[in-house]
This record gives sequence, C-alpha cells and structure tokens, in this order.
Amino acid sequence: MSVTEDEAKPIQYRKHLRWGEHDPNRRANTPLGMWAWLWQRVSALLIVVLLVLHISLPYKLAIQFLLLLTVTFHATLGLRVILLDFNLVSIRHHRTLAWALPVVGLIAIFIVWRCIY
Amino acid sequence: MSATKRNVRVFRYDPAVGGDGGFRDYTLEVENASAMTMLDVLLHIQREQDPTIAFRFACRVAMCGSCGMVINGRERLACKTNVSDLPPSEDITLRPMNHFPVIKDLVVDMDPMFNKFRETLSFFEPKEQLTEPARIAPDAPEREEIRLATDCIACGCCVSSCTMVDHHPDYAGPAALARAYALIADSRDGLFQERLAAALPSCHECRTETNCTEVCPKGISPTRAIKYIQRTALVQLEVTPKEAEVEETEAPPARWEVDRATFIRGAGVAVIGAAVAVTLGSVAAITTVGPTESAAAEEWVSVGRIADLPQGKVTTVLLNYEARSGIYSQTISKPVMISRLSDEIICYKTACPHLGCTVHFENQSDEFRCACHGGTFDRSGSVIAGPPPRALDRYRHKIEGDQLLVLI
Ligand code: SF4
Ligand code: FES
Repeated sequence: MSVTEDEAKPIQYRKHLRWGEHDPNRRANTPLGMWAWLWQRVSALLIVVLLVLHISLPYKLAIQFLLLLTVTFHATLGLRVILLDFNLVSIRHHRTLAWALPVVGLIAIFIVWRCIY
Repeated sequence: MSATKRNVRVFRYDPAVGGDGGFRDYTLEVENASAMTMLDVLLHIQREQDPTIAFRFACRVAMCGSCGMVINGRERLACKTNVSDLPPSEDITLRPMNHFPVIKDLVVDMDPMFNKFRETLSFFEPKEQLTEPARIAPDAPEREEIRLATDCIACGCCVSSCTMVDHHPDYAGPAALARAYALIADSRDGLFQERLAAALPSCHECRTETNCTEVCPKGISPTRAIKYIQRTALVQLEVTPKEAEVEETEAPPARWEVDRATFIRGAGVAVIGAAVAVTLGSVAAITTVGPTESAAAEEWVSVGRIADLPQGKVTTVLLNYEARSGIYSQTISKPVMISRLSDEIICYKTACPHLGCTVHFENQSDEFRCACHGGTFDRSGSVIAGPPPRALDRYRHKIEGDQLLVLI
C-alpha cells in the first residue's frame, strides 16, 4: 500500500491569531483598562512633541495649555497604575479609576488655569 | 417565546488545507435565547448543518475550562454564555482564542500556556517539615488574600485577552502568574524564593491593561496577582549581591579646552535632542514601513553536507527546524528540492507557483512536474508547460565549509 502525498503531509497548525485579527467585534468591546493603557502611551508621545514645541516657542499660551492638559492626563493614568500596583485601591474599582482620575485631574487643572489667567 | 433567526459566524481552519482560515456563516433558529448557550449553538450546527466543525467541551458547567473561545470580540466560556448575553443586533461570532496555535476551527493548542505554568514552577511543593496536612482557617489572612485564585480552570481566556503575551515571548502570561501567586501567598508552600524569582521577571511585562481581569470567567484578577508578586518580591526576595566589577581607569587627558559645565550642558542637550529625534523618527518609520509582527523571522537552516548531494541530480531534503512566534515555538518540516549541476546549486521550493500543490522532479524527463494541473518546469525552474504564472520559487542559499545552508 502506498501513501499518497496528501496523507504524508504533516498537519500544519495555523499561526496563533492576534488581538483583533479575524475579530469583527473586538474593537467595539475593548475594555476601559486597555484604553487607559493605550491613551497613556499616546499622551506620552504627545508630551514629547509638545515639550519640543514648548521649548522652541516659549511664550505660546495655547501650547502651554495643551502641554499642561496632556501632562495631567498622562499623570493621572500613571496614578491609576501606582494605586493598583500598591493595592491602595482594590482591583474591583479598576474601571472607575481609569475614567475618574483623568476626569478629576482635568477639571482640577482647568480650574487652576482659570485662576491664573 | 417565538423562534428567532440568528446568523452565526464560525471561524473555520482546516489543517489539511492550511492557509489563513476564515468565517463561515450559518443560520440558526433560536427558540429561547436565555436558555441556549454557545455550546448548544455549536452542537446544533454540528448535528444539523455541518458535522465537520471542531470545538472542545466536556463539563458544560464552567468547571473544566475546555470551551474557552472568543465570542463576539471577547473571551468567554461557550458553556457559560447564552445567546441572550449578546446584543440581538449582532451576528454571533465564534472564533478561537488568541495567542494559541490553531489546530482546527475553534480548537487551539494549549501547550504554550502549560509550558509557562511549568516555567513559573506553578505546582505545589510542600515544605519538608510538614507531616500533617496543614489547616488554613477560612478566615486566615492568607485565605482571604488568595480568595478566588485557586479556582482557576486554566481555560486560557486571560492569556488570549492580554496583548502583551504576543509582544513578549518570555512573558509567562496572566494564567501562570495567577497560579504562581496563589502558591506564593500560601504558607504551606516550600518553594517560596524559587517561585518568586521565577515569576518576578515576567511581572514586569504586565502593562496593567486589566484585560485578563475583565474576561476571567471565574472572577479571578491576574492583574492583582501580578502586583502582589511584585510587592512581595520588593520586600522578601533574597538577592545574592553580585561582586561589583568596577575597574579603576585613568581619566583621559582633555583634548581641547572647554569649560566642563558648558560641555556637559551642551552634551546633555545634544543627547536629549538626538534621543527625541531618534525616538520620533523611528516610531514613525517603523509604523509606516517596518515589517509587521506576522512576518516570520528568516533563518539559515543547514541542509547537510554538499558532498552528500549527488552530482547532476535533484535531491529532495526534508528540513526540520524550530519556528518561534509569539509565546510558542513549533517544529516545522519543510521539503527543499536541491538541484546540483557541476558547480551550480539551486534550491527550489516545492510549492507550485500556480496553486501551491507539491512539485516533484522526474528523473526520466529531467523536468519538474506538478501533479495537480500539469505544470512543468525545466532544470532552471522556468515554466515549460501548464498554468503556472512564473518560474519555480527559490530559496537563497550559502555554503559554509562543506555545509549547505538555505534561508527559510
Ligand atoms: S485566571 Fe481565569 S481566565 Fe485565566 S486561565 Fe484561570 S480561569 Fe481562565
Ligand atoms: S465545557 Fe467545561 S468549562 Fe465549558
């Protein structure tokens, strides 16, 4: 009995699927924590850009304001990680942290800005 | 309750065919959406419409962990998810979990995860001095700390949800670390230091995405477990101090006269400026032109000694090599046809450029033939007859000593 070529072929596993690949509902279902992570990275890049702008164009109020906004946003998301790292807030509230901290931070910075200018 | 029609999309991959796989659509009458699980959906389709669908299940009550899959964009257990849990406006989409090689349709190879369990020493090792089973009171602090973490059913949902698993091959992943945590926090455990040391490096790969915490069907938070390991290591991990190897070196004499402070300031600005430029430039460059993750890394694989390849003949050699991708590696066998004519060596791929059937060499006619549609190629790989659109594909090769290597 001879083995045909097809039978002799080794079984090939498919390479692992990745996040969002062949997954039409994934993006709409992205949990808040993932956004918190992503936005912190995005704001980090923004800070680099704004910082360069701020140094080269020192007295532009708009840039200063944007920089302050971005730094606050980035910092509050960092605070979220610190609070979870040290278990200062229970992991049960991780979703609340992800939206409440940036909101509180941005409101605070807005008030401070209004007081100065 | 009247029956409603639901569109069900099931990811299909056939290992005998290979390729990328894709969704196939089925329509199903759903009698009672709140009493029909995804497992029922699959069983219905398998019995009534398509017996070839492959999926795993055993207990049907969220105990065995074999039915984890991605259901409408989120990792869930098929036996625990009802049709009514999904918005009626959406199709039902069933797809295998991320980050595990797909064996067939919805069935994945879970070995990568269990290997990670092994690497983080995630098995119980009692302390030697214990002769009696230790009793942990239900209200003991450690019992409260560990909480649900002992309930893990190793379904893999968390590993599938965590994108870091894909970006860091050495990352143990949330499931293994949740297990390591349950053992580290356990006072009966005899491997405290070893386990801590084995688990800690992985913990740094956690970016607090909390995806694992969101999806775990058992209500476990691997995120919290990872943080616990890090905090514990901070105070309790015994580090054997390495001998500092600082050699005294003479400062080189200054070549030109610049005041030190000015130089340092200038250098600082230059370094930061360069770093910013390089960072932004490379991020932009990598995202626009860089290779995607899916492109497998090429590597040189040895075919064997050149002297073993008969002169004037075409020899087919089966190459076995390890391919690494994401958190797992797989042994792959790939045939290569090597043509040796006096000094010229050509290494051909066996896949026909027409539709990918296997090409073989016929000694009598001195031609390559594809059995599927009669594609015929001459010794140099050019098409003589049949539908192939181009010549046979070649591998790059090089010679090192008496060895022949090809770039796979
Ligand atoms: S931690 Fe939860 S999601 Fe992860 S393998 Fe265990 S039971 Fe499944
Ligand atoms: S069938 Fe056992 S967990 Fe779903």
